[in-house]
Amino acid sequence: MSLVSIAVVVLLVFGVAVELACCLGVLVMDGAYNKLHFLGPAAIVGPLAIAAAVVVQESFSQAGIKALLTAGLLIVASPVLSHATARALYIRQRDHVEPELVGHLRRGLPTSGTGPDAAPVVGADMGGPGSDLGLGGRP
Amino acid sequence: MNAWLIAATALLFGLIPCAIVMLRGSPVEALVGLQMAGVLETVVLVLLAEGFHRPPFFDLALVLALLTLAGGLVFARMMERWV
Repeated sequence: MSLVSIAVVVLLVFGVAVELACCLGVLVMDGAYNKLHFLGPAAIVGPLAIAAAVVVQESFSQAGIKALLTAGLLIVASPVLSHATARALYIRQRDHVEPELVGHLRRGLPTSGTGPDAAPVVGADMGGPGSDLGLGGRP
Repeated sequence: MNAWLIAATALLFGLIPCAIVMLRGSPVEALVGLQMAGVLETVVLVLLAEGFHRPPFFDLALVLALLTLAGGLVFARMMERWV
């Protein structure tokens, strides 16, 4: 077994192990925010190790360059996708919490909090914690 | 069967956790599972192209990586408002 073959096998085992560990992390962790953390190593470390294995095997031929291009594309795309997904989750959570707040603000009542159990506080000062949302509530 | 094909076969088992997350999780968790599956499939295509000694097959992995990015962005944008 040549040195090149050993290097290829080591890189392949490392890349596959990283990918499978990240898959298990996505399965085990609770919540989308925690699951998102495991997209990073899976899209950066794993593809880079496997592209390195292809380059070690094939040198900078057509296959090696395309494998590096693919790994580079994954590395660039991963943070963009993670950011877009986290932003979508943030907006969904904000919009799912706020409808009750919006109702209170439109009726001109302050609220006792910002969570889903937020309730209007009758007789309190009209400047509630959600009144800065620009939704028509009293100042 | 060489080391490349064995690695590709091992990586395919990683799709099982992704499928479980997609089937049982919330919509955003399912999107995370879909993105993980896209990364896995891209790497599997690279391994298969090298394992079968077909350099043109690397184009498939390259295109899938691009489409995974585009599809993930579209899904994320859609989930902000409509799902």
